[in-house]
Amino acid sequence: MEENILTTLKILIIGESGVGKSSLLLRFTQDNFDPEQTLTIGVDFKTKILNVDDNIVKLAIWDTAGQERFRTLTPSYYRDAQGAILVFDVSNYSTFTRLGNWLDELDIYSTKNNIIKMIVGNKIDVQHREVSREEGFAFARRYQTLYIETSAKTKDGVQSAFEELVRKIIQTPGLWDSFQNDNIHVGGNDQRNKSGCTSYCTLT
Amino acid sequence: MADILAETVHPDDLKKFEKIYHEQLYKNDVTPKAQFDYSWCLVRSKYASDIQKGIILLEELYRTHEEGRRDYLYYLAIGNARLKEYAKALGHVKAFLSIEPGNQQVLTLQQTIKKKMEKDGLLGMALAGGTLLAIGAAIGVGIRLAKALLCTKI
Repeated sequence: MEENILTTLKILIIGESGVGKSSLLLRFTQDNFDPEQTLTIGVDFKTKILNVDDNIVKLAIWDTAGQERFRTLTPSYYRDAQGAILVFDVSNYSTFTRLGNWLDELDIYSTKNNIIKMIVGNKIDVQHREVSREEGFAFARRYQTLYIETSAKTKDGVQSAFEELVRKIIQTPGLWDSFQNDNIHVGGNDQRNKSGCTSYCTLT
Repeated sequence: MADILAETVHPDDLKKFEKIYHEQLYKNDVTPKAQFDYSWCLVRSKYASDIQKGIILLEELYRTHEEGRRDYLYYLAIGNARLKEYAKALGHVKAFLSIEPGNQQVLTLQQTIKKKMEKDGLLGMALAGGTLLAIGAAIGVGIRLAKALLCTKI
């Protein structure tokens, strides 16, 4: 399967502390849930190979810590990301109001201006919602991002969230076949060169 | 970037946080935050000397700033693993897990370190094997040469 990989995509997960970023990733990569999920230290990293409409892509997913004290360093990981998942907790309104700041952060630090953004309302298994589906959708529409609701606990929507994001990235060729151009100023890096060629060759 | 140990710091980031740290150092007032930010960059450097420096700064933080201990332990493990100081790295992981046994992030790091050790071990064996082959070939050439010399003498 490794040989058929179309490209490697860099995906970011950002959002306030405690909204379930690591839980979403754990559910997606290992189909697991840890009710006692601890606070992420700095940045965590996982990979997963995903097949979307017969395109096999490798995802390199960076799960950032939501805590304030890591905020100065986590934007370093925004570089070259093709997709960003902005997570909030539907049972905690303040995590929703902070989404604007996260979108601003992305605009400042991401290096690809056509990066695909997806807003994810997590914890829909919780009884008392503070943010309605309509409100979430309206916000996403205003900022022209994708929108999906999930529960890492019950699995709801998790797989589709990642699939949808990847589908949108693949449909935006300028976003992922431009490795070679980027390489010029990044400086020789064999691995990126190779993957750049693969994706470019496949397209033409 | 196959794993968390292969990821390296961007030179701009290293410069930026180095500057902040040095400015504070000059005023003799280094905050744990500035020291941590700088060491986080250092342990992810391509250069062993940077990583070493990052480890020293993190060890100091670990002794003096209790609040951030879990962060310091985690990055101490990463720094040591990147220097191939696997025993030390696993020691830090173990210390961490004795406080938070189920921490997924640290359990993954432990696996990554062990895998890297295995890979390095195999590589070591492959190198030793290669040397043996080379010695064998040299002996073979020597014998053939000797035979050739004998033949010409006769």
